[in-house]
Amino acid sequence: MEENSNMTAERSLAIITEQIEKNRRAVSKTLGQSLYISGLCIMATSVLVAIINFLSMSSGMVGIGHLLWFLLPVAIWFFSRKYIKERAHRPTNMVGQMVAKTWQTFAIFSLGFFIIAIVCTAILFPMMTTAEYSVVQIRVAPIIVLLMGMAIAMNGQILNQRWLVWFGAVAGLLCFVWEHFEVLTWLLVHCLPLKPYEASVFMSTLPCVTIFIFGFVGLLLPGMMLKKQAV
Amino acid sequence: MFPTLDPLLHSELRLAVMSLLVSAEEAEFPYIKEQTGATAGNLSVQIDKLSAAGYIEVEKTFKGKKPCTLCRITPTGLKAFEDYVESLKSYLIR
Repeated sequence: MEENSNMTAERSLAIITEQIEKNRRAVSKTLGQSLYISGLCIMATSVLVAIINFLSMSSGMVGIGHLLWFLLPVAIWFFSRKYIKERAHRPTNMVGQMVAKTWQTFAIFSLGFFIIAIVCTAILFPMMTTAEYSVVQIRVAPIIVLLMGMAIAMNGQILNQRWLVWFGAVAGLLCFVWEHFEVLTWLLVHCLPLKPYEASVFMSTLPCVTIFIFGFVGLLLPGMMLKKQAV
Repeated sequence: MFPTLDPLLHSELRLAVMSLLVSAEEAEFPYIKEQTGATAGNLSVQIDKLSAAGYIEVEKTFKGKKPCTLCRITPTGLKAFEDYVESLKSYLIR
C-alpha cells in the first residue's frame, strides 16, 4: 500500500471495507483455532480419563483417572502455543475476548469445585459410615456438566449461534438431571441385568462420554465453523 | 458544497491503519504491516504521523526479550474516523 492522497471516495470506502473484513477474518481464524484445539484437548482427555478409570478399576482405585482433568488447562495452553504460531501478533476483539473469558471462568469454577470436592471427600469419608457419606457427598459430575452447558450456551449467545444456545441449555440441564438423580444407577439396577463390576464400568465412564460430546459440539464444531468463515 | 476530508486520514496507508484499529482493540506493528502490506519504514512514518495527531496511541513494550510495538486508537482518532466516514457518505450520495 502506497502513500496516495488523491483517492476517490469509492477507493476510500473500499480500503475501509477491506481492512475491517481482513481483520474480522484474522480474529475469527485465531478464535476458531483456539476453540478447535481446546475441543480436541477436552475430547482426548475424556478418552484418556475413561481408559484410566477402566484400567484402574481392578486395583480398586475407582475414578482415579478424573485427576487428569487438572492437566487440561496445561494441555490447552501447551498445544495452543505450539500450533497457533502467528497468534503472537494477532489482535483480538470483543467477541474473542468474551468467548475466552467465558471458558476461563468455566475452568476456574470447575477446577475450584473439583478441588473442594476432593478435599471434602478426603475429610468426610474416613469420618462417616457409607450411608451417611452417600447423603453428604459432593457430586462433581452434575455440577461440571451444568457449568459446561452454561458456558456453551453463553458462547452461543456471544457468537450469535442459536443452535449452540439450545444445545448448551438443553444438554446441560438434561445431563445435570441425569447425573444428579443418578438415572443411570436406577436404569442399571432396574432395567439392565448387569453385574456390579459392569455397572461400575458404565458409571465411571459415562461422565467422560458426556464431556466428550460437550467438547465436540460446544468447542470443536464452533471452532471449525469459525475457521471455515475465516477462509 | 462538499465537506473537506481530513487530510491526515485521506491517505491509503493511514486510512488502512485507522480502519484496522477501529475493528481491533489494539494491534501489534507486525500485524498491521502484514494486513496493510506496507513496508516497515513507510508504516513507521505513517504511524508516527497518526500518533503525533493524537489519533492513535503507540506503546513500546517487550514480549519476553523481543521489543513489541502496540498501537491502539484514541477517542480523538475514533471521532476523526467517524467524521471522515460521514464526509465520505456525502460524496457517495451526490
